[in-house]
Amino acid sequence: MIEGSWRLAEASDVPFVYELVTQVDPRWWRFSRGGLEPSLLIATAQGVSAGVVVLDEFSQPVACAVLAEAGTMGTGMFEYFALPTAHAEALARQFAPDLLAAAFTGADIQRLYYERFENDADVFGDMSALFEVEVTYPEFAMIGGRYENRTTSVLTRERFAAAHPGSMQ
Amino acid sequence: MITTSRIVFRPVVPTDYPRLYEIESDPTTAMTWRYHGNLPAFEQYEPALWKQTQQIMVVEGRTSGQVVGYLQLHDVDARAGNAWFSLYSGPEHRGSGLVMEGLMAYCEWAFGNWPIRWLYAHSFAQNVTEFEHGMRRGEAVRLGVLRERVIVDGEPTDVHVIGISRENWMASPLRRRFNLLRARLS
Repeated sequence: MIEGSWRLAEASDVPFVYELVTQVDPRWWRFSRGGLEPSLLIATAQGVSAGVVVLDEFSQPVACAVLAEAGTMGTGMFEYFALPTAHAEALARQFAPDLLAAAFTGADIQRLYYERFENDADVFGDMSALFEVEVTYPEFAMIGGRYENRTTSVLTRERFAAAHPGSMQ
Repeated sequence: MITTSRIVFRPVVPTDYPRLYEIESDPTTAMTWRYHGNLPAFEQYEPALWKQTQQIMVVEGRTSGQVVGYLQLHDVDARAGNAWFSLYSGPEHRGSGLVMEGLMAYCEWAFGNWPIRWLYAHSFAQNVTEFEHGMRRGEAVRLGVLRERVIVDGEPTDVHVIGISRENWMASPLRRRFNLLRARLS
């Protein structure tokens, strides 16, 4: 157990989100797909439904998750990235169950989607096994000189609740 | 513009909008990604039609001169080199093959004019049979199925994700045959 915490994202977190996007560029595709012009990033950030940041033992942000495209269909898109350090990624994995529970309980989500490139860092840890891959886009985009596949996975409310009884009360 | 013995494939012009609106008003296509059953009034149709859309091409019957359907190129992702397409067919022309011929013209046009490696489409489970021939022949592939992704008529409905790669299209016998017939026509 690493010392840390998480909280809802605030407007003052935008500089951290920008830094995070640049450090994992272009893996956070929502932000990187159009390049890193700051006003474009801010406009994109305003389109997400909710966000949280994970903090380290010094209360410094090290990871960020957003819930986007949450609508009337009972679905949402969960996006979660950590600074590319072992410590930040470990903290992200540690808080992944809490953040998923918050996503399900904070909005009427039945099916939570998660998209990732094949070589994205693991920020879900044990939670990864709960996601089921539904779509694979072969050679979706070039990263570091080679094309990487991108997948869309889903985590259902039932599946999460069964694996983590009591976490969604 | 692409012309075959049966169709003319050309960019949309504003005078086509009433016909496109008529096609989209059909109950079986009203539950699309853009409108989810809430098709706007015709006065607000143009901005809704072009939302996230880079180009619209109509398929016109060559003998009738009537627009039988149309295809949209939307959500072009220049960095990834991919884009999405939507295909709409007038209810009276479904099964005629005219709009699927339009899809061949569309692939030829899109891969020939845009820096795109992949074209993707969402297809509701009830419409996916339109793509089955192409998937069997290999021009199109099913990239996956989003289970119970949308509600249609109160029922959770699967959405199939279809992909057509530039590489597959350029090498396909169907493309060779399509262009051979076009060359004979001209």
